[in-house]
Amino acid sequence: MSASLDLLINALVSGLLLGGFYAAVSIGIAIAFGMLDIVNIAHPAFILLGSYVAFIGNSVFGIDPILATLIALPAFYALGMLAYQVYYVAFERRDDQSLRGLSFFFGLLFITEVTLVLTFGVDYRLVKASYIGPSLNLGLFDLPLRLLVPFLVSMAMVVGLQLFLSHTFVGRAIQAVAQDQQALRLMAANPIKIKRIAFGLSIGTAALAGAFLIIIQPVEPSIGREYIGRVFAICVLGGLGSFPGMVIAAITLGVAESLTATFLGPSWAPAVAFGILLVTLAVRPSGILGR
Amino acid sequence: MASSLTVANLDAGYGAVRVLEDVSLRVGAGETVALLGTNGNGKSTLMKSVMGIVRPSAGSIAAEIDGTTYELVGRSTEDIVDLGIAFVPEGRRLFPKLTVSENLLLGAFRPTARTSIARNMDFCFETFPRLKERARQLAGSMSGGEQQMLALARALMSAPRMLLIDEPSVGLAPLLVSRTIDKIKELKTGYDLTVLMAEQNFTQAIRIADRGYVIVHGRIAFAGESAEALNNNDMIREFYLGA
Repeated sequence: MSASLDLLINALVSGLLLGGFYAAVSIGIAIAFGMLDIVNIAHPAFILLGSYVAFIGNSVFGIDPILATLIALPAFYALGMLAYQVYYVAFERRDDQSLRGLSFFFGLLFITEVTLVLTFGVDYRLVKASYIGPSLNLGLFDLPLRLLVPFLVSMAMVVGLQLFLSHTFVGRAIQAVAQDQQALRLMAANPIKIKRIAFGLSIGTAALAGAFLIIIQPVEPSIGREYIGRVFAICVLGGLGSFPGMVIAAITLGVAESLTATFLGPSWAPAVAFGILLVTLAVRPSGILGR
Repeated sequence: MASSLTVANLDAGYGAVRVLEDVSLRVGAGETVALLGTNGNGKSTLMKSVMGIVRPSAGSIAAEIDGTTYELVGRSTEDIVDLGIAFVPEGRRLFPKLTVSENLLLGAFRPTARTSIARNMDFCFETFPRLKERARQLAGSMSGGEQQMLALARALMSAPRMLLIDEPSVGLAPLLVSRTIDKIKELKTGYDLTVLMAEQNFTQAIRIADRGYVIVHGRIAFAGESAEALNNNDMIREFYLGA
């Protein structure tokens, strides 16, 4: 009895922490897909790129993996702006984005993956940091630091971006741009510039999410694909365009997967996660906190 | 400081379809000018040409803002708004999934407007108390009349020198139409604005207009130098009053 209660509490806690990581993985999609209407299925590839930046920073220069991606943040921001500019010139401007835009990002996903394979090979890579390994024992449950640190940094990132979106002029323009691009011009804002900034931020979050990923588990170039379905599910479940909804959805999914993995076996986890998605959408089609 | 608008020999259209032909008009500093005409005669195309949404094929549009003259043809919409020319488009074009106050704050995106947000916000809430009550409500969930108020208020948040309004009466109940027109007059006086208003509802528009132009099939058919001149014009009687 107490053994299974112990299991339950530990599964809940690690699910919650896992949810924090999922939030970091999903927030870039919450911006690109939820606010800009850009179906960036290459996002996991950018996350992997972040993982390998963390790996190089850690194994070559001996710095903390999260710090390594923080240093690379401006480069990821610029990369995101560049990717959007290409997407805009080649597809969006010609009103051609729906299918061809999708194939553009699909191509980006494969190119990034292949580049990583050619550069680093297909072996699993990992990083070293003082918080990987030990756990905080709080009596009732354990707090594994390798999950706790990404959780905390991820929440700080979500809160920071939420404040940026709701309290700055550019942030509010990002929230408005998909609703009516022409009307945004009437506010003296250039929607293309606004989207470029937003997409830069979206890819910027991928850098940090990549560091979290390689802290939590060893990484090889194609591992990002596992996350594509999950991150879109989280964004839809939370309600497009809502960060708080996205966080709730990420944690719900994290806890559900963790409980299922503990009590039913890991192979059931995706089924339960998507079951939750289907049921929620049947009851609330706009997601948990969708407007 | 005064702001005025001069449109000279303007041709504009969509693809091969020519909508405006040789249109010239002037909105003097501090004036309220009505652009009259029924649907499909080119009122909106003229407004959109001024705002850089439609590219004219010939002619010029000059705006004098606080003593400096700018040619508007060839400028982007956002540049034109940034000069101090605000536009309330037909259909209002609010951001439906943002709150009333978020819509208003977006109105103040223009750098010049950012310093006077608190004052402009107070003025908007004073003029439209309803908006203050609904500040946290989503814009899309409000009634048509309230949305029109918000669209006007949002345009004012950019601290404009000149205001262009396209069909403020569309989709509103008659009582709301006259209330909206009254508010436009109130804003104009309170803000010392130069106003160009396109409107089908002749009797309402003429209540607050100093002058007016009647546009028929893309040409200026009549330029009324006063409200009375418009009221007594035969063509207008024919169009609007059925006499």
